[in-house]
Amino acid sequence: MAQLKERPKPFLLPDYCKGCGRCISACAKGCITFDKEIDAATGYVPVVIDLEACNACGLCMDACPEPYGLRETPADVDFELQDPAKLFGGKKSTAPTPVDIPNQRIPLPKSEPLVIKGNYASAIGALLAGCRHVFGYPITPSTEGAELMAKLLPKLDGTFLQAVSEVATVNHMYGSGGAGYPCMTFTSSPGFSLMLEGVSYMVGAEIPGVFVNVMRGGPGLGNIAPEQSDVKLACRGLGHGNTHAITLMPSTPQEMLDLTMLAFELTFKYRNPVVILGDGYLGQMTGKVTLPDFMIKPGIPTWAVNGDAMHRGNLISSIYLSEQDLEAHNVYLNDKYRRMIEAESRCETFMADDAEILIIAANTPARASKGAVQDLRQKGIKAGLFRPITVWPFPVKQLAKELAHVKQVVVVEASNGQLEDEVRLALSNHGVTQLPAFSHVRHFGGMLPQQTEVLAHIQALLAKEAK
Amino acid sequence: MSVFYDKFNRHAEGAGLKGNSTHYCPGCGHGLAHKYLAEAIEELGIQDSTVLVSPVGCSVFAYYYFDVGNTQAAHGRAPAVALGHKLSNPEATVISYQGDGDLASIGLAETVSAAQLGAPITVIFINNAIYGMTGGQMAPTTLMGQQTATSPDGRSMFNGQPMRMAELIAGLEGPVYVDRVALFDAKNRRLAKKAIKKAVQMQVEGRGYAFVEVLAECPTHLRMEPADAEKWVKENMTPIFPLGVKKDLTVEPWWKRPAPDFEPAHMLKAVGASQEATNRHAEAFPTHINPLDISLKLAGSGGDGAQTAAMLIARAAINEGFDATHIPSYGPESRGGTSYADVHVAKDEVLNPASPHPDILIAFNAPSLAKFGPTVVKGGTIVYDSSIVKEVPAGIDPSVKVVGVPFTEIAVDLGKAVVKNIVALGALQAATQLFPKDTLLAAVRQALKDKCALIPLNEEAFAWGVKAVEALGK
Repeated sequence: MAQLKERPKPFLLPDYCKGCGRCISACAKGCITFDKEIDAATGYVPVVIDLEACNACGLCMDACPEPYGLRETPADVDFELQDPAKLFGGKKSTAPTPVDIPNQRIPLPKSEPLVIKGNYASAIGALLAGCRHVFGYPITPSTEGAELMAKLLPKLDGTFLQAVSEVATVNHMYGSGGAGYPCMTFTSSPGFSLMLEGVSYMVGAEIPGVFVNVMRGGPGLGNIAPEQSDVKLACRGLGHGNTHAITLMPSTPQEMLDLTMLAFELTFKYRNPVVILGDGYLGQMTGKVTLPDFMIKPGIPTWAVNGDAMHRGNLISSIYLSEQDLEAHNVYLNDKYRRMIEAESRCETFMADDAEILIIAANTPARASKGAVQDLRQKGIKAGLFRPITVWPFPVKQLAKELAHVKQVVVVEASNGQLEDEVRLALSNHGVTQLPAFSHVRHFGGMLPQQTEVLAHIQALLAKEAK
Repeated sequence: MSVFYDKFNRHAEGAGLKGNSTHYCPGCGHGLAHKYLAEAIEELGIQDSTVLVSPVGCSVFAYYYFDVGNTQAAHGRAPAVALGHKLSNPEATVISYQGDGDLASIGLAETVSAAQLGAPITVIFINNAIYGMTGGQMAPTTLMGQQTATSPDGRSMFNGQPMRMAELIAGLEGPVYVDRVALFDAKNRRLAKKAIKKAVQMQVEGRGYAFVEVLAECPTHLRMEPADAEKWVKENMTPIFPLGVKKDLTVEPWWKRPAPDFEPAHMLKAVGASQEATNRHAEAFPTHINPLDISLKLAGSGGDGAQTAAMLIARAAINEGFDATHIPSYGPESRGGTSYADVHVAKDEVLNPASPHPDILIAFNAPSLAKFGPTVVKGGTIVYDSSIVKEVPAGIDPSVKVVGVPFTEIAVDLGKAVVKNIVALGALQAATQLFPKDTLLAAVRQALKDKCALIPLNEEAFAWGVKAVEALGK
C-alpha cells in the first residue's frame, strides 16, 4: 500500500474537461461525479473529483480522451493559480528550424550518344536529375520507362515500386515528394486521368513530382496509338480546385531526356508538380540521345517531412478549413502561377521570322510540320513553325510577336482541337483579338498528322486564296 | 508528454479553449487512441523519426496534436502515402492513422496492397461502425440493423454485411502483427495501449507491417451518452468484431536499405553509355538514295526481327554521325501479328520520323509486301524474303528496284532462323549501298557486346545476304 500512496493523484482543470464522463465509469472507487453547473468557459458540465477518496490508481487518467484533460498532479502546483495559460502555457514545439541541404551538381564524363527510345531517354533523364524513387502502374505506350527504372534503380540503390493502381502511384509520390525526394512516374492517358485527384492534392500541398504522360488515343480505353489527348487535361483540368502545373511537350528522344531533367529542376523550384506530355510515337521512337556533362545529387529542402529530427516540425497538408485561409492560400498559389507564366514560357521557332503561314504544333506533329515547312520553303512559300515547348504556361508573348507578319495560322495536332483551344485562349487572355485566319490539320484516332497532309493542306489554302 | 504539442494551433494560434483540448466530440475514442500512440512514440524514443499520416475523416487534424513529422493524405490513400515516405526514408517510422470509411471503403485497395507488400509501416485503424465527419452515415463496418443517416431503417442484406478488417488483413501474407482492441473499459484500454506500442515497435525493429484495429466510440453519431456508447461497443460490436490478436509472427528484422547511389561511373555503366568513340566507315551521306533524309520501312510479323533490324540501321547511322529515328508499330498481340518499323536516316536532322512513302522497303512476308510495296517512292528499292513471298504483287511502280532474297532459307541453313533479319540487312547493304558493310556490322557487334558468342553467326548471316544480292547481279 505504501507504493500506491506514492503515485500522483489526478489533476483536473475544468477548462480542459468536456464532461464526457468516461473517467466516471473508469473509477472503481466512485470518487468522480458530474459537477452541478455548466462551466462558463467551455459550455460543458465538467467532472469533479473527490481527491480524499481517490487511491491514485490512475484508471481515470487512462480513460480520459483529452491529452491534457486529466493529468498527474504536479508536485508543486499552486492551486490558487488555476489559469491554464499560467500553469502549462508557453512552451512550443522543441523541433529545430530546418536548414536547406542544397543539390550537388556532379560532373559526368563525356560519352558517345545513346541510341534509345524516348521512354528510356526520359527515364535516364530522371536518373541524372537525381530521381531514385519511381512509382508506377504499367500502361502502354509508356511501359518501357517503368521497365527500365525497375531494371536500373536496384543497381543505383534506388526504389521502383509497381503500385497497385495509378491512384496508389500518385499517392506514393505524395509521400515521397512530401518527404523531399525527387520522384516520378510514367503513365499514359487513361492512367493520368486516374492520377488527377492526387495531382490536385500535390498542387494544394505544394509537393514536387514529375509525371511523364505518354499520350494515347481516347476517350475511354481508346487505343494505344499516339494522340495528343490530354493537352486540355494538363493545362486546365488537373483535378479539382485552382490547379496548374508547368506542362512540357518534347518532340525528340533528346528532348525527352533534357525536358525530364528540366522538369525536376522546375518541380522543386516551384514546389509544384510538373507534367511532361509526350505522344505515343515519341515514347516508342528511337533516336540519338546525348547525355549532359553533369548529374544531380539531390539535397533535402527545408519544408520536407523527411522523418528526421531537423524536419520534425513540418507538415504536408492541403486542408484550409477557414474560407479566408483557403482564399489566402489560393491567392498565394495564383501568384506562384503568375511567376511560372513570366519565367517558364518556352518555345522553339523554325523559319518563323518572316513567315506568312505559321504552323503551330507540338510533339511529333511538330516534326512532321518542320518537314512541311522545309518543303514549302523549297517551293518559295514563306512558311514557318511555332512550337510551344511549354503548353502551360503557353508562350503567348513569343507567339504574339510572330503573328505581326502572319496571314494564316495552321494548327497541326493529333487531337480534337485541344491545342488550338489553348492557342486561342492564350491569345485572348493576352489581349490579341485581331487574329489572322486560322485553320487546322487534325487527326484524333491514334494517328498523327503527316508531313504530306500538312503540305497538301497549305497548298490547298494558297490555291483557294489565289482564286 | 513531449509528443503532444503543448498548445493545439487549430485556431487563433492555439489561444483560448481550442488550444487546450482536441476537436473531437466529448467521449470520442480518437482522443484515447491518440494518447496511446503518443505514449508509444515517446516510450520508444522515436519522436524525431516519426511521420504520422492523417487521413480524411474526423482524425484529419491529427497533426494539430502530434509533435512529429505530419502528412495529411487524400481520402483512403494514407497507406500509399505512408509507403512513399517509408521507401524514401527507410529510417523513418511511418504511421498511417485511419478511420473505417477511409481504410475499409474508399481506400480498400491501398489498404490491402500496402498490407500485402509487407513493408514495415504501422496502421492504426479506428473502427466506430459509423461515418463521423460526414455526419453519421453508414460505414463498411456498420452493424446489421444499425440505423444511420444512409441506412435509416437499419443496415439490411441489400447493404452487404459489416467488413471485418482485422481478419481480412490477418489473412494476408504480408503483415506480421494484426490485433483488434477496444476502449470500453480499463482492461481493454490497457491492452489497446500495449497493442499500439507493439505495432510501432515491430516497425522500429524492421520486422514488418503491423495493423491494430481499435473499436472506438462515436457517442455523437450513435446518439448515446459516452457511457452508453462504451456499453454498446462492448455488447454489440465485439460479437461481430471479436477482440484479440489475429496474427503475431516471429520475424527477424529484415528492413534495411542502402542510401541511393550517385556515383557517375555507376550511372554511365547502368545506362550503357560508352566512353569509347566508335569508328566511322562512311565517307559521306548516301545522297544517291536521297540528298537529305532517307526513309525506310521494315515490315513483317512479330518475331521476324524487323524492329531489331530497324534499330541496327538507326544505330549504324548515328555511329556515322548522322541523325536517325526508328518508330515501331505493332498490333495488340504480344507475339505474332503485324510488326512494322519506320526508320529515317538524315544528314543533319530527321524532321518527320514517319515513313508513309519510304525510299526503301524491307518486307518479311507477303501481306507486308502487298500493303507497303505500292507506297515505295519512284526509283526506290524493295528487298523481300523470297522464301516466304512466292509472287511479287501488282501495284509496285515499275521504277522501283525489287530484290528477292531467301532470308529464311539462308538463316535456316545457317542453323538459326532468327538471324533472317541480319540476312536482310546484308541484302539491304548490297542492294542499296546505304552504308558500307563495316558500318552495319559494327552496329551488329555493338548490339551483341554482351552475347559475343553469337557474333560470328550474325556476321556470316550478313555476308550471305550480301552474296545473295550480288548473285542476282542487281
